[in-house]
Amino acid sequence: MAVEAREIETTAAPPGVGARPRTGLVTTALLAPPLLWLVVFFLIPVGFIFLYSVNVFAFFPGTQAFTLDAWKNFLDGSPFLDLFWKSIRMSLIISVVAVVAAYPIAYYIALIASKRKYVLLLLILAPFLVSYFLRLLAWKVILGDQGVINSFLIWTGIRDEPVSWLLYSQFAVILTLIYVYIPFVALPIFASLESLDRRLLEAASDLGASRWQAFRKVTLPLSVPGVIAAFIFVFIPTIGEYFTPLLVGGVDGTMFGNAIADQFGQSLNWLNGSVLSFFLLVVVAVLMSIFARFLTVRRVATG
Amino acid sequence: MSTEHEERNQRRLGRDDFLKLGAVTVGTGVLAACGAEGAPEPAAAPTGEDEPERPPIESEPGNLDVFEWAGYEYPAYGGKNGVLKPYVDQRGKPKFTFLTSDDQALGKVRAGYRPDMVHPCVDYVGNWIEMGVVQPWDTSLITNFPDLEAPLVQGGQVDGQQYFLPADWGFSSPLYRSDEVEPDGEESWALFYDDRYEGKISWWDSPLENFVIWGYVNGIENPWEMTDEQLDEARDFLMSKKHLCRNFWSSQTDLDADIAAGNIWIAYAWAGSYVAAKDAGLDVVYSEPKEGRLGWNCGFVLMADTENFRHAHEFVDTWSSVESAEWIINNYAYGHANTSVNLANVPEDYVAVFHLDDPEARQEPNAHYARPVSTERRAAYAQRWDEVKAA
Repeated sequence: MAVEAREIETTAAPPGVGARPRTGLVTTALLAPPLLWLVVFFLIPVGFIFLYSVNVFAFFPGTQAFTLDAWKNFLDGSPFLDLFWKSIRMSLIISVVAVVAAYPIAYYIALIASKRKYVLLLLILAPFLVSYFLRLLAWKVILGDQGVINSFLIWTGIRDEPVSWLLYSQFAVILTLIYVYIPFVALPIFASLESLDRRLLEAASDLGASRWQAFRKVTLPLSVPGVIAAFIFVFIPTIGEYFTPLLVGGVDGTMFGNAIADQFGQSLNWLNGSVLSFFLLVVVAVLMSIFARFLTVRRVATG
Repeated sequence: MSTEHEERNQRRLGRDDFLKLGAVTVGTGVLAACGAEGAPEPAAAPTGEDEPERPPIESEPGNLDVFEWAGYEYPAYGGKNGVLKPYVDQRGKPKFTFLTSDDQALGKVRAGYRPDMVHPCVDYVGNWIEMGVVQPWDTSLITNFPDLEAPLVQGGQVDGQQYFLPADWGFSSPLYRSDEVEPDGEESWALFYDDRYEGKISWWDSPLENFVIWGYVNGIENPWEMTDEQLDEARDFLMSKKHLCRNFWSSQTDLDADIAAGNIWIAYAWAGSYVAAKDAGLDVVYSEPKEGRLGWNCGFVLMADTENFRHAHEFVDTWSSVESAEWIINNYAYGHANTSVNLANVPEDYVAVFHLDDPEARQEPNAHYARPVSTERRAAYAQRWDEVKAA
C-alpha cells in the first residue's frame, strides 16, 4: 500500500510549472463533489455537535445558552473520562494482538503459499459473508456458561463451575474484536509483503544471512508501513466501538462508544453526549495525524 | 374499594400537576418560537376546535409507519393469519421500526425521525406532548374504544383529549430460577443486591427503574420523585453492587436467551420473560416482592404531522379487538386494555401469576404503576444511571 503510494507520489512529483492550465480546472471539477460531500455531511454536522456541546444548540428548545460547564465536568475527573482511558487501553490490546496474530498469516499467504495465494486470501475474507450480528451471536454460544468451552471444561472435569468471565466481560469484547479485525489487519500487511522485492531476500542469503536474520533485517523493516497501516485500521475504529460491547461486554466490558450512545439515545443528554463525541473526534484526529506523519517518515527511511 | 379510589385519585393528581408543568413548558416553547421567527406555529398547540377536515382514507398515502416494540410487529404479533390480518389485508402491511425504550424513542423522534404512530408508555405521555410532536386520537373512529378499561383510558387523557390510547399493561418484577436461587427470607427486590449470586444477576438498562427499586427497598415514600441527595446515595449504592450483575439487559430477546442459556438466574423481568423461561422448561418464579411489583401501561400516540390519520385509527382499532387481547395474554402473558376477554380462554397459570382476575392486585399498594416524571427530574435520574454504567 505505502509502496504504491510512494510510486504515485514520485510520478506526480514535478507538477505545477510545466502542467497545462486546464489540469487545474479538471482537478477542481473532480475534487468538488467529494469535497462538497465532506463539508455537507461531515464538517457541518461536526460543527453542530460542537455547538451542542457548548449548549448553543439544546435538546429542548428554550434552554440554550453558551456554557463550558459540560466540558469542565467531563475533564474534571468524571467517570466518562476514566471510561475513555479504559477504551483506549482495550483498543491498544486489541490492535497489538490482532497485528501480531495476523502477521504470520499475511506472511504465509504473501511469501510461501505461491499458487494458492488468492484462494487463501478469499478464505480470510470468508467470514464477511456472514452478518456481523450472527458472528457475535455465535461467540455468545461459544463463550456462555453452558456454551461450547464451558461445557467442555465441565465434561472433562477440569472445572466444576463454568468460567463466567468468558462472556459479558472485557475479555469477551477484546477476544471478539480481535477475531473481527484480523482480516482487516492481514490485508495491508499482505499488500506490503506482496510488493516486497524478492531479490533483496536472495541478496541477503547470498551474503550469508540466516533465514531469521533475513526476516529481521529485510522483510520486517520493509513491511513496517503495512504493519502501521494495519494497526491504525484497528485502533481508530475500536476506540469508539459500540455494538460489540453492547452484545458481549456486559457490565464490565462497556466502552466509550456505549456511553455516547446512551447520552444521545437513552438519557437525552445531548449536551454531555456532544462533549463525549467531540472529544473522541479530536483525540482520533490527533492520533491520525501523528500516525500519518510516522508513515511518511518510514516511507522516506525505507525509500 | 375506597382506598383504591383514593390511590387512583392521588395518582391522577400527581399526573395533572406534571401535565400543568408540561403545558407551561410547551407554552413557553411556542412563545420563544414566536419571538424568534415572528410567526406563530398553530400546529404545536392542541386546539381541538378548528379541526381540519380529514381527507378520506383512500387519498392517504398508506404504508403506515409504526414505531413499535419488537414482538408487536406483523406477523410476530398475532401470527400470519392472526389478529392484525384484517388490517393488513385491507390496508397493506405497515412498516415497523423498533424502539428499545421510551427514552430511546423520544430521542430518536427528537433527532428527526417521523413515524405515523408510536407505542410509548403512559408515564412518558407528558414528555411527548411537551415535545410538541403528538396529536389527540379521534376516539369516534375506533369501534373497540368503548371496550377499553376506563381507568387506563382516563390515564391517557390530557386536557380532555385522548392523547394516549392504552394498549397493553403488565408487571415488572424479579424473575428467578427456583432451582438455583433461594431468596433470603421474604421475597424482595433486594434479591438484586444478593452477594451470593454474583455474576448471575441482570438489571434492566433503564435510567429510572433501578433507582425506583432502590427507593422502594429503602422505604422512600415516592421513589419517582427522589431528591438529588437520595439519588446520589442510590447511585453510590448501585455502583457498589453493579459487579454482581452479569449485564444490564436492554433487549428482552437477549435476556430470554441468556436465561435459557443459564447465564442469568435473577433478572428484572416482564411477564413475557416468565413465559419464555417456562417454555424453555426452566423452574422459574415470577416474584411477588414485599415492596410490591412495579407496573406499566403502554399504548399508542399519534404523530402530529402524520399523513395517515385514518390508517393509524384503523390500525389501533384492529389492535384493540378482543381477539388481540386474548392473543397477547395467551402468548406474552401481558394484560390488554380491552378487558372484555373471557378468562376461561387463557391459561390458569397466567390468570393466577399475573392477577388477571383481580384489578386490585395491580393498584397501590400492591403494585406501583410507573408515574410521570418531569423532564428535568428524569434527567437527574438518567445522569446518575449513566455514571453507574460508566464507573
